[in-house]
Amino acid sequence: MKKIAVCYKWVLNDGDIRVNDKTRDLDFEKSKPQINEYDRNGLAVGVQLKEASGAELIGITCGVDTEPSAKDALSRGPDMVYYLNDPALAQADSAASSKVLAGMVRSLGDVDVVLCSECSSDDFAQQVGPRLGALLGYPVISYVSAVKLEGDALVMDRKLEEGTESVKVKAPVVVVVSPDVCEAPIPSVKQILGAKKKPANAMDLAGAGLGPDAVKPMVTVQSVKAPLTSRKAVNLLGDGESVADAVAKLVKQLSTDGLL
Amino acid sequence: MSDIWIIAENTLWARTLAAAAAALGKGGKITAFVHGDEAAAKDAIAHGASEAFYLPLPADAPWEAYTPALVDKAKAEKPALILLSTSRRCRDVAARMAALLDAPCFSDGKNIALADGGVTANTLLYGGLAVKTSVAKGATVLVTIGAKDFDHGAPDASRSGKIDTLPLSAAGVSVTGRKPREAQSVDLGAAAKVVSVGRGVSKESDLDTVRALAKSMGAEVACSRPIAEFFKWMPEECYIGISGQQIKPQLYLAIGISGQAQHYFGIRDSKTIVSINKDKECLMNQQADYYIPADWEETVAELAKAIHK
Ligand SMILES: Cc1cc2nc3c(=O)[nH]c(=O)nc-3n(C[C@H](O)[C@H](O)[C@H](O)COP(=O)(O)OP(=O)(O)OC[C@H]3O[C@@H](n4cnc5c(N)ncnc54)[C@H](O)[C@@H]3O)c2cc1C
Repeated sequence: MKKIAVCYKWVLNDGDIRVNDKTRDLDFEKSKPQINEYDRNGLAVGVQLKEASGAELIGITCGVDTEPSAKDALSRGPDMVYYLNDPALAQADSAASSKVLAGMVRSLGDVDVVLCSECSSDDFAQQVGPRLGALLGYPVISYVSAVKLEGDALVMDRKLEEGTESVKVKAPVVVVVSPDVCEAPIPSVKQILGAKKKPANAMDLAGAGLGPDAVKPMVTVQSVKAPLTSRKAVNLLGDGESVADAVAKLVKQLSTDGLL
Repeated sequence: MSDIWIIAENTLWARTLAAAAAALGKGGKITAFVHGDEAAAKDAIAHGASEAFYLPLPADAPWEAYTPALVDKAKAEKPALILLSTSRRCRDVAARMAALLDAPCFSDGKNIALADGGVTANTLLYGGLAVKTSVAKGATVLVTIGAKDFDHGAPDASRSGKIDTLPLSAAGVSVTGRKPREAQSVDLGAAAKVVSVGRGVSKESDLDTVRALAKSMGAEVACSRPIAEFFKWMPEECYIGISGQQIKPQLYLAIGISGQAQHYFGIRDSKTIVSINKDKECLMNQQADYYIPADWEETVAELAKAIHK
C-alpha cells in the first residue's frame, strides 16, 4: 500500500447558523467554515492506516474557497493536501462533488485506498463516498465502523440495520467510515505548527482531467427555508422566582395536560 | 403515467414504496426489487407491483453486489423514477446507481412530485435546520424515502405478475462474517414519555438520578448523540436525532441538551417538549413548549420531590 487519499469537505459550522424569525431564511453571518466533523474521523483513520502501512497520506477537497482548509487538514496528519476551487461548486450536488473528487484521485495516480466519511453536516446526503467508488470503478465499503490492515488487504466491519457485516477487500478500494470508527483527536500545538511546513497544492479542473460539465449540478435548488416552529417557549422561571416555583408550575401544567 | 422502480431492503419497506410508486406513477408500471426470497416478491405484487424481482442476500458478498445488474437493467428500461428505502444498503445502492447512470439522486426526499419539468423534492439542510426544495432533471431520477412517509394499503392476493431474480456480479469484496444486532432493550418509538439527557449532565453516575426521575414519571430514558457515541454511557439505539431515533412521544423532557438541529429533528413531532437547560438562550429552550433555565441537578431534585408528593 503506497498511497491513501482522504476526502474532506470544508463546510460552514452549522451550530452558528441562525434563522431569521420573519423570513425563515438562514443567516450565515456568524458561521465560519470548518472541516466537516465526520471527515475528522476519516482523517484519523487515514493516519492509522498510514502508520500501519507506511503509505503516503494525501488530503483532498473541492469547493469554492477551500485553500484555508489545508492548514487545518494538514494538522490532522496528511503529508500533503490538494484542493480544487471552482465558483460553480457553490451549487455542487453529490454528483458534481463526486465527479471532481474522482478526477482528483485519478490525477494523483495509483491511489490504493480512498477514505470518505458517511456524510457532511450541510446536505447529509450520504452519497459522495459510494458515488466516488462507482466512478473510479473501485469496490465501495460503506458504513465502516472498524478497519484494520491485514497484509495487502483491509478487514472491516460495517454497521447495518440488521447487524454487523465483516468484509475483506484488496486495494484499490473506497472506504466510507462512520463516526464511531475511531476518535478524532484535536491537533496538538506541535501538529498545528508542523502543518505549515507541509505542501498545500492547488489543482484545477484541467489538472483533474475534467471539463466544465463535471461541476454542473443535476439538482437545482429552488428555495431554502427554515420550517416554522409552533412551540411557545414559555419560560417557567420568572424574575425573582426559585427553581422550586418553576417546577411547581411545570408539574401543574403537565398534570393539567394529563402528562404526569 | 410513468414507470417507477422500487428497491427495498425488506417486505415492509417494499409495501410502503409500492404505495408511494402507485401515487406518483399514476397507473404506470411498477417494478419491485426486494431483498429476500420469492415470498417477498409475491408480497410486493400483492401490494401493487406489476412485476417483482427478489434479491436474496449472498452468503459471501454484500447485498450491494446487485448494483451492476440493476444499473444494466435501468439503462435498458429507463424508469422515470427509482424509489429506494433509506436503509444503509439501499442508500449505498442508490448513490452507486446514480453515479453509474449519471443521474440525480435525492436523499430522504419528501413531498416528491413528478412532472414534465422533472422531479421536485424536499430534502433537509444542516441537520433539519432548513428544508431545501429542488428540482432534478434526467431520464431517470433516484430518491431514497423513509419508511414512515407513506402508508401502505391492504394486500390483494388476486394480483399476479412476473416474478424473477437478478444475476449477481463479482463484487471484489468477500464477506467473512455476519453478526445480527442485539435485541433492543427499549422501544423508544412506542414510549409515551421520554426523559432525555445531554452533555449538560457531567458524569455517568448522574444518569442514575435521571433514571430514577424517569421511573417515577413512567418514562423511558434516551440521550443526545455524544452521550451514546462518544461517552458510551448509553447504548447507541437510545440516542435521538437525525442519525439516531426519530420519536414523537406525548412528552419529551430534555435535560442538559443544547437542541442543535440534528437532535431536534428527532423530536420535532413530539406533543409537548420541556427543556431544562441553564443557558436561557439555547436552541432547546427556544424550541420547547416550556423550559426552566436553571441547573439541572437542582431542577431534577425539585421535580422528583414534587412528583413524589
Ligand atoms: C452530521 C451530524 C449529525 C448529527 N446527528 C445527531 C443526532 O442524531 N443526534 C444528536 O443528538 N446529535 C447529533 N449531532 C450532534 C449535534 O450537532 C450536537 O453536537 C449534539 O446534539 C449536542 O449534544 P448535547 O446537547 O448533549 O451537548 P451540548 O451541545 O454540549 O449541550 C449541552 C447543554 O447542556 C447545558 N448545560 C451544561 N451544564 C448544565 C447544567 N448544570 N444544568 C443544565 N444545563 C446544563 C448547556 O447549556 C448546553 O446547552 C450531529 C452532528 C452532525 C454534524
